[in-house]
Amino acid sequence: MARTLLIALDGATFNVLNPLMEDGVMPFLKSFLENGTRGELLSTPNPLTPPAFTSMMTGRGPGHHGVYDFIRGEEKEKTIFFTLINARDVRCETIWSIASRNNKSITCLNFIAMYPPRPVKGHIVPGFVTSRNLKLNVYPPGLYDQLKVLSGFNVKDVSWDVDQGRKPLLGLAKEDCEEWIQYNIRKERQWFEITSHLMLTDPTDLTAVVFDGVDKLQHLVWRFLDPAYFPPNPSDWEIRVREICRDYFRRLDGFLSELVRIAGPDSRVFMASDHGFGPTHEIFYANAWLNQNGYLTWKEGTPEDQSDSLTAERLREHYETIDWDRTTAYVRTSSSNGIYIRTSTGPGKPGIPLSEYESFRARLVARLNEFRDPATGDRVVKKILTREEAFPGPYMSQAPDLTLVLRDNGFVSILNARSPLKPRPEVNGTHRHEGIFFASGKGIKKGLLAAPRSILDVAPTLLYSIGLPVPEDLEGSVATEIFKPEVFQEMPIRIGSPTLAPDNSRDQEKQATMTAAEQAQVMDRLKTLGYM
Amino acid sequence: MENIRQNTGVNSGTVQNQLIKIIEDITSDWDTGFSGQITGETRLMGDLAFESVDVVHLIVAIQERFGKHDIPFEDLVMENGRYVNDLQVSRIADFLKAHI
Repeated sequence: MARTLLIALDGATFNVLNPLMEDGVMPFLKSFLENGTRGELLSTPNPLTPPAFTSMMTGRGPGHHGVYDFIRGEEKEKTIFFTLINARDVRCETIWSIASRNNKSITCLNFIAMYPPRPVKGHIVPGFVTSRNLKLNVYPPGLYDQLKVLSGFNVKDVSWDVDQGRKPLLGLAKEDCEEWIQYNIRKERQWFEITSHLMLTDPTDLTAVVFDGVDKLQHLVWRFLDPAYFPPNPSDWEIRVREICRDYFRRLDGFLSELVRIAGPDSRVFMASDHGFGPTHEIFYANAWLNQNGYLTWKEGTPEDQSDSLTAERLREHYETIDWDRTTAYVRTSSSNGIYIRTSTGPGKPGIPLSEYESFRARLVARLNEFRDPATGDRVVKKILTREEAFPGPYMSQAPDLTLVLRDNGFVSILNARSPLKPRPEVNGTHRHEGIFFASGKGIKKGLLAAPRSILDVAPTLLYSIGLPVPEDLEGSVATEIFKPEVFQEMPIRIGSPTLAPDNSRDQEKQATMTAAEQAQVMDRLKTLGYM
Repeated sequence: MENIRQNTGVNSGTVQNQLIKIIEDITSDWDTGFSGQITGETRLMGDLAFESVDVVHLIVAIQERFGKHDIPFEDLVMENGRYVNDLQVSRIADFLKAHI
C-alpha cells in the first residue's frame, strides 16, 4: 500500500496544458508526466462538475448517485423549486466513507457535495460553501479553528464567493480582469496551504484536493490560454492578461511540485480532471427554440436576452417568465444541457399524459435533429441522449429526459431570444468530455501514454492504491495498465463486498419509517442469519 | 420493538428555542450589525443580513439538527408560486412545529 495523493484539476485539458508545458510555464508537470503516465479521462455524459466529481468520488454514474447539476429542482405547478445540492443528494457511498470504515484515513478538500460533512477517519473541508457557513461545515468540528490560525488564512479566499463566482457568467470589464485572475491565484494558494498543512501535521492514507481555478480561468479567458485564439498582434493589455494567466498556471505548477514533494517518493500521485475544455463560438437558445416550436410559452413581456448572463440568483426570476400551464418541455438550467418533459399528474393538470410520453419524446428528438444553422445548413444539435441512454440507474427519473450535445460542445442558454442561434461576440471556453488522468510514483510506469479511461475508473484505482478491495458494485475498474506488473504480484486486485447506502442519503429516511410488520420481518431475517 | 422512526424528543415549546440556537450558531461570526437577542420577531434578511444562499444553509442545518429531511421547505420559502422576500423566526418555528 502506498500513501496516495489525488490532485483534481477542475476542467484541466491537454489543449491548454501541453502548450504551457512546452513553453516552460509548467516544468514540474512536464517532468511528472515524463516519469509517469498520462491519458484522457472521459467525463460523465453531461461533462459537468457536480455529476462528474460525484462519479469520481463514488465510482458510479449519475443514474446511481443522483447528482446531475449544481441544483436539485422539483417541478411545481407554477414554477421550479430548487436548492443547491449537498451531501444528502449523493445516493452512493463515497470513497471517503469506504476508506474510513476499512480503517484507512482520508483528507477530502474542496470537493462539491461534501457538506454537511459526514464523520470520516480524517478531514473534510467541503467546496461550494460560502465563507459565512464554512466553520460549521468542516470535519472534524475543531478543524476550522486549527486552519484559521495558519499564516495567511483568509476564509473568503478559501470558500465559495458568490460574487466572484458570478463573474465568468456576467463577463468582466477589462479593468477587472487582472484582479479576478489574481483572486483565483490567491484561492489556489489557500487550498495549497491547507493541503500541505494537513499532509505535514496529520497525514492520511488518501489525500485529495480540488484546484478549481483552472475551470474558472478557462471559461472566462479561453482566448488567452488557447494559442489558436490569441491574436497575432496583441495589445499591451492582452499581453498582460495572458502573462497573468500563465502566472496562474506557473504558480499552480509550483503548488503541484510542493505537494508531490511532501507526499514523498514512496507515495503514489494521481491527477485527474472532472471534464475537459475547448472553445465555444455560439449560443443555442434552447428554450427559445422550444418556444418557437410550440413546447414552451413565455409570459407576455418576457424580454429577449442580450448577453446570456443568467446567474443562479436570477433563476427564480427566470422561472417566473414561463407560462407553466402552457409548457410541455423546457430546459431547467444551462449547465444541464437537458430538456425536461412535463407529464401531467392528473386530468386538467398541465403537461402531457404519461401514456403519450414515448411518442412525444421521439417527435421532439426528431425536430431537434432537423434544426439547422440557417447560414450553413449544418445541424446544431450533434447528439441527443435519452435519460435511459445517458443515466441508467435507480435515480434516472431525476435526470433530464433528453441531454443535448451541441456541435461546438457548448452549454445552451435558457433565456428568451428572437433567433435560437447567435454567434458569441468572443470565443468562450466550455466543457468537453475529454479530461486528463495522470499518475506517477511508487509502482507506476514511466512515460506511458495510456488509452482513455472513464471517470468511473478513478475510484477503483484509488481504493486499490490504498490497499483496499474494490467493491463489486462500482461501475469502473482499476486502471491496471498504469501500474508496473510487479505491483499486482505484491498486491493483487481484490473485489470486495458491495458499497453501503450512505448514512446521509434521503433513502435512509425511508428505511427509518418501517411499519411494525416490516420490522418483524427484519428481526426474523436477522435471527435466521444468526445475528440474534 | 418500538417504531424506529427517529424521535427528536421535541415539543412545540422548544422548537423555536432550538431554531434560535441554530441561527445563533450560524451567525455567531457574522458581521450583521444586529445587536441584542434573536427572538421570534427577528427577520432573517432584514435583521440578520441573510442572503438566499444562507437560507439554503439554514435549511440544511435544520434538517441535520432535527434529523428530518423530508420537510417540504418549499412551502415555507414560497407563497403562491413566488419566493418570499424575508422570513421571520416565529414563522419558521411555526412551520417546523407543523412538520416535526
